[in-house]
Amino acid sequence: MAVDNIIELKNISLFFPGVKALDSVDLDVRKGEIHILLGENGAGKSSLVKTICGVYKQNNGAMILDGETYSPQNPLAAIQSGIRVVYQEFNLLSYLSIAENIFFEKLPRKNGLVDFKRLNADARKLMDKVGLNQVSPKAPVESLGVAQMQLVEIAKALSGDSRVLILDEPTATLMPDEIDTLFDLLKTLRDEGVSIIYISHRLNEIFRIGDRVSVLRNGKMVGTHPAEELDIKSIVKMMVGRSMENEYPFDETVTPGDPLLEVNNLIFKGSPHPKSFTLRKGEILGIAGLVGSGRTETMRALFGADPKDAGEVILHGNTLNIQSPRNAVQSGLCLLTEDRKQQGLILDMNCVENTTITDLGSVSSRGFLNKQAEREATEKQIREMNIKTPGIDQKTLYLSGGNQQKILIGKWLFRDSEVFIFDEPTRGIDVGAKYEIYLLLWKLAAMGRGIIMVSSDLPELMGVCHRIAVFSDGKITGELERKDFDAESILTLSYKEYLHA
Amino acid sequence: MKKYLILLVCLLIMIPAFVTANGAQEEKEDGKPVVGLIMKSLANEFFMAMEEGAKAYAEEDGTFELMTMGMNSETDFDSQVNAVDSLITQGVDLIVLAPADSAGMVAPVKRAIDAGVTVINFDVTLDKEALKAAGLPEEFLFVGPDNTDGAEMVGNYLGETLGSGGKVFIIEGNPGADNAKQRKNGFMKAVENHNLELLASNTAHWETEEANTLMTNLLTKHPDVQGVMCANDSMALGVVRALEAAGRSDVQVVGFDNIPAVKDLIMNDKMLATVHMDGAEMAILAFNAGFEILDGKRENLGWVQSPLILADKDFFK
Amino acid sequence: MSEKSRLRSVVNIFLKEVGIGVVLLVLVVAFSLGAPRFFSIINVANIFTQISINTVIAVGMTFVILLGGIDLSVGSVLALCSIIAGKILVNPELSFGMAIVLSVLVSVVSGMLIGLINGFISETWKIHSFIVTLGMLNIARGLALQISQSRTIFNFPKAFNDFGTTTYFGVLPAIFLIALILVILGSIILRNTVFGRMIFAIGNNEESVRLSGHNVKFYKILAYTICGGTVGIATIMYMLRMSIASPILGVGFELNAIAAVVIGGTSMSGGKGSLVGTFLGASIMGVLNNGLLLIGMGDFARQIVTGVIIILAVILDTYRTRFSAMLND
Repeated sequence: MAVDNIIELKNISLFFPGVKALDSVDLDVRKGEIHILLGENGAGKSSLVKTICGVYKQNNGAMILDGETYSPQNPLAAIQSGIRVVYQEFNLLSYLSIAENIFFEKLPRKNGLVDFKRLNADARKLMDKVGLNQVSPKAPVESLGVAQMQLVEIAKALSGDSRVLILDEPTATLMPDEIDTLFDLLKTLRDEGVSIIYISHRLNEIFRIGDRVSVLRNGKMVGTHPAEELDIKSIVKMMVGRSMENEYPFDETVTPGDPLLEVNNLIFKGSPHPKSFTLRKGEILGIAGLVGSGRTETMRALFGADPKDAGEVILHGNTLNIQSPRNAVQSGLCLLTEDRKQQGLILDMNCVENTTITDLGSVSSRGFLNKQAEREATEKQIREMNIKTPGIDQKTLYLSGGNQQKILIGKWLFRDSEVFIFDEPTRGIDVGAKYEIYLLLWKLAAMGRGIIMVSSDLPELMGVCHRIAVFSDGKITGELERKDFDAESILTLSYKEYLHA
Repeated sequence: MKKYLILLVCLLIMIPAFVTANGAQEEKEDGKPVVGLIMKSLANEFFMAMEEGAKAYAEEDGTFELMTMGMNSETDFDSQVNAVDSLITQGVDLIVLAPADSAGMVAPVKRAIDAGVTVINFDVTLDKEALKAAGLPEEFLFVGPDNTDGAEMVGNYLGETLGSGGKVFIIEGNPGADNAKQRKNGFMKAVENHNLELLASNTAHWETEEANTLMTNLLTKHPDVQGVMCANDSMALGVVRALEAAGRSDVQVVGFDNIPAVKDLIMNDKMLATVHMDGAEMAILAFNAGFEILDGKRENLGWVQSPLILADKDFFK
Repeated sequence: MSEKSRLRSVVNIFLKEVGIGVVLLVLVVAFSLGAPRFFSIINVANIFTQISINTVIAVGMTFVILLGGIDLSVGSVLALCSIIAGKILVNPELSFGMAIVLSVLVSVVSGMLIGLINGFISETWKIHSFIVTLGMLNIARGLALQISQSRTIFNFPKAFNDFGTTTYFGVLPAIFLIALILVILGSIILRNTVFGRMIFAIGNNEESVRLSGHNVKFYKILAYTICGGTVGIATIMYMLRMSIASPILGVGFELNAIAAVVIGGTSMSGGKGSLVGTFLGASIMGVLNNGLLLIGMGDFARQIVTGVIIILAVILDTYRTRFSAMLND
């Protein structure tokens, strides 16, 4: 048989105590194709990837790599076999340079010392290939934005002789032009004969680069089809087992009321342009802009998470003096950070502890916790928000991304905050959970709360928000009402400050 | 900036804890010889008393200038090396040294001698092998007590009290220390002399609490014990307290050093005896041996024994 | 809750709380077989006495380690507190009752004050507590020597010394009762109060707690202050047990306390652990020291075996953690 499959999985099953993560999965990836792997979170995509790259050992079934039995004992063995993974969570050493990160496993040597000249030259080539051409290979990784880090990860994966490149949600934080660059790059690699397994939640991307699509659901392979035979509707149906009518809910009955929060001339370190905006009751205000345009930083300064130099914050007509997150929270603000795991949840603690942390005063008297009250409050929250967990004692570490995000929202609902600031609330969350998050945002709006939503997903912002403010290089370059929403004008505003640089 | 300032202040505060140097700064102009006294840990009451006695003597005598230096701990060998080197730099005439490390201190002693400074070794002997290796005489002058003799003396006293066949423990000092080894040897001789039965010999590292724990546990194992020999008084304090807690007033305890706390114990019959060693007296013997060498009346060889006295109830009366 | 998940949580709780208890049980059984006097009432009471001081220091240390910090100054602070409290206790101008009350109070307050300083410096200038408390280790020791002129303080009132050797029902020494009360009190604080919840939360993810609107600095400084306070209490216990106060006592106590905490399953990086574990850890160390001597092991071998068992206990703990993580995955 002529081997045109680079890797074949036959009847792969993977068990964890009490869970069947993969159930007799078959998959074949051809040489030089871009193979899209789809599935809701918890469907088994990560388990499948981790089995291929040697992190887990399957309980059943076999893998064949380029015609030979393939059974990696550990991730290093997989890398040596030419299988490279770019994970969604970066694996970079932030104080080292880009070049050192790319070649970390095999730094070029000369006389026993690192040959920095060659290292940087080699890195330069790979960085040009992935579109990191404005940055020096000597720059420390910590100086990069999220999107650029992603590209460093890809460059790192390409540094070896990779036969199979696995990308886990590579576009989650990328801007449209960065996505274009990435897709061009992936197509070039494919044409050079590299096989790519591509995991994404952005269904529209499938049709731009996918050759074939495989869908997992509940650990089982639903099917593999050529991309051109599919449309979004059929894919969603395969993923969730039912069809979903509207990707973005918009509730016409909820209309913004009086001004709730006013931010005037906010200035903080590294961002000298005064920023002002207003949020109304029951309004969902979207914040668009490129990664690194100051969106996250502005929200953090507003919330007191980072120090600010000047600026007035008015809530309900009262000027607030916010010096710390504590002040902000007491005034009724809350911030749901982009990084749920490091700055949001306490992963090793359970649902109860994560939910009540915002307002322990309400479930305690004289410093002593009323654990029964805590449990009841959490159970109510979990029921109302439809959070899927085996129990409230489950550590949040073991919840899926969407449910983690819901717990985070729940903890701020528990405190009854007035202004919800969401930074990338749907990043890394599957379609079904995204939809539920949108519904929650609408529920908050209907309750008269003010919602700020920072997102890099333009269709999402346009689908969900009443109004969008656009950031560009630390300035607010424009605001658009829903009726004026238009991708092109938002992008133009996003790039405005970078053009005359 | 603030950060560094605070660190600096902390360091300044800590300096006295590391090395305590008091006394005259080079006052050679009036022709008096300058003597540097380097002791071990001033946390040890023995050296504290020694320092006071030596200073009082220097003041009264008036013929020499005294600088005293104490270390942070018994084993603070590095600070001692630094102390010797700084005394050499300051050009003292005589260094009187109680080595924290018998072998390790030989090299700085050699440096001092080469620089023309007379060095008197006291309290703990320098290592003979190391002396030989450094080209110094093996019988380099030592001023100090015979620990073995002292331990045997107080051990014999216990043996006489218990009579032949008495059952005893030995509570040893730090296993690495010379004086701990010598004291244990002395106790062992007393065990032989009086035909005592040695039930256990364990270390409590010179420490009160450890000796207390050890004694409590040994009492469980050997409830028939009649006497305990402790290599220092700090440990004897812990042993006596363990006997009190167990309600045992029939066990005799002897110690070594005569620290102030044991006087009451001996007077109240909670302890039998200890060995009195006068630190100041030892230091003064060392000074005078040094002056004799400076005056050319003596060679820097031999052993000047400092007296050890049995301290029992009669001693304190 | 399904049958399976209930079983899982029972297994979890067992592993979490009792895991290290199994090690203790094995040691107790082995020593009971190897040394006939080991399991006697008097010896059990002795072990209780011997672990009391370390237990109390380790209780405070657990609070600090749960935050991901460390307190290396406890041994020196114990010496300093003992000198201050000892001077008060032997002050002839004070009545007996007054002397006792004052010395206990001053010892605890001094300890808390030093803990407060440790925490304040560490938090205000963001210096790791390892460094700050290392500095404090020297400062406190120096102060103790300076104040006492390196003299041991003794001749405490007889009633004070007598209380130190009191044993209730033949098996419960007075100072052990103090330790037990502190373990229970500490457990209640850690499990049932807002402050305890904050300790665990901060130890797990300080930034999340800060962004949830809490004054992290306050809680952290409070934990160091509590640690200092337990040292103040341990000081009085030491004086009760030894009937002396000395500037050179307590050397190495910090390491024993840290060992008890870590053997007890508290993570050095913070966020995980319990005081029951700490108590079991201190017990293991006490039982080892006592039992190995009673079966007739020599000084050096005892030290080696103790070291090996400390490491083994912690290795066992990593298996426990891995196993319970697997159950949840």
